[in-house]
Amino acid sequence: MGDSQYSFSLTTFSPSGKLVQIEHALTAVGSGQTSLGIKASNGVVIATEKKLPSILVDEASVQKIQHLTPNIGTVYSGMGPDFRVLVRKSRKQAEQYLRLYKEPIPVTQLVRETATVMQEFTQSGGVRPFGVSLLVAGYDDKGPQLYQVDPSGSYFSWKASAMGKNVSNAKTFLEKRYTEDMELDDAIHTAILTLKEGFEGEISSKNIEIGKIGADKIFRVLTPAEIDDYLAEVE
Amino acid sequence: MSQSAVDVPPKGGFSFDLCKRNDMLTQKGLKAPSFLKTGTTIVGLIFKDGVILGADTRATEGPIVADKNCEKIHYMAPNIYCCGAGTAADTEAVTDMVSSQLRLHRYQTSRDSRIITALTLLKKHLFSYQGHVSAALVLGGVDITGPHLHTIYPHGSTDTLPFATMGSGSLAAMSVFEAKYKEGLTRDEGIKLVAEAICSGIFNDLGSGSNVDICVITKGNNEYLRNYMEPNPRTYVSSKGYSFTKKTEVLLTKITPLLERVEITEVGEAMEE
Repeated sequence: MGDSQYSFSLTTFSPSGKLVQIEHALTAVGSGQTSLGIKASNGVVIATEKKLPSILVDEASVQKIQHLTPNIGTVYSGMGPDFRVLVRKSRKQAEQYLRLYKEPIPVTQLVRETATVMQEFTQSGGVRPFGVSLLVAGYDDKGPQLYQVDPSGSYFSWKASAMGKNVSNAKTFLEKRYTEDMELDDAIHTAILTLKEGFEGEISSKNIEIGKIGADKIFRVLTPAEIDDYLAEVE
Repeated sequence: MSQSAVDVPPKGGFSFDLCKRNDMLTQKGLKAPSFLKTGTTIVGLIFKDGVILGADTRATEGPIVADKNCEKIHYMAPNIYCCGAGTAADTEAVTDMVSSQLRLHRYQTSRDSRIITALTLLKKHLFSYQGHVSAALVLGGVDITGPHLHTIYPHGSTDTLPFATMGSGSLAAMSVFEAKYKEGLTRDEGIKLVAEAICSGIFNDLGSGSNVDICVITKGNNEYLRNYMEPNPRTYVSSKGYSFTKKTEVLLTKITPLLERVEITEVGEAMEE
């Protein structure tokens, strides 16, 4: 494409007005493992595939869904190491906010600050954009919230969203299945069904991860036993 | 925006620029404001199942009691608490800062904080400020390696002890501990001994007073007993209240308008610019 001459330098616009490196970053995200999130009336659920490169990898040591604060969790699609760096930065920002205002950081604020970091890496010299899109799930005074943050630094609040390899099928499925008054348990079932749609192989508690937050405002990653229970209910 | 939360001097460490200004001002005759100090009695001891910390609740500003019921036992982590003596602002700021660092560390490591971690973070900070941060602390808690109790001095040195006291009332409290402490105390015996030591500080030291706060930390549990004992209740409160003579102005209600009330009626159209 004619843009290719402009695709080497991050900080140069192409004639069509795009920053091609960011497009490439989105491609990196699009080839990552599927992850999705659903906002229910009384909570939020986020889930992801956990396909390990080999059966020899100790799957208990891998955790893709991470806490940012006691009431905010996050999952990604794309490059794992970039995710680790972002999680570290976000945790620090949440902690600084708490230290300054003695108030747990609202979800929108944390998303905004994380998005600002991601944007900085699209407008600096010598760095590349992050190769991850994040789904941030939280429950604060404004109720349950779900945000998606892209490598460009743009973020949107979603009722349900998916990213990664199977994004188009997953989003179509979610559009059909989503209802405004869904409860958290229904949302978890829908999340599992959506993951199942494009899943290669047998879905089990060892190759997916689910995180949820309810009205108790405590973000938890489900144990494999709990995932097994939900899987049995879905069958 | 996150930069403004922590103002770090450009080269790191303490910036002594304002000290020259302060010297110049004192030479010119300006009396420096005194600090709000917690002339204090703080204690800690290790008992059979964990650690008990105790503190009095008086904060002094020179000869005046500034706060009759302040909190000197600060939260560091769910399993670690810290008593602070010295300048109240310093103890609060330093424990708040280290508590924040410990929380971040817990997220990164997915583990409970250890007392030795809190100890090292505190002593590094205090040492780098060369004793200008006037915080003398008794740090105690229970972690995976067991119960621990430490004292930290403003210059950054630390001790590890089975029982400890700090503050202006430390000698009074230590005399109680030295006489009655033994290993393997039960919870009730430990609380009784800590309360006795704090009371000894409250009654024998001018800088300590009011009530006794106690914090009991055991494996997986902590109990913050705020105002566990109140040995200085306010007696002789007159039930009649104050009675003024009938002529006292204060009992009259008189409203004096400061400005004439003027009614404004809108006439005509608004000015056109």
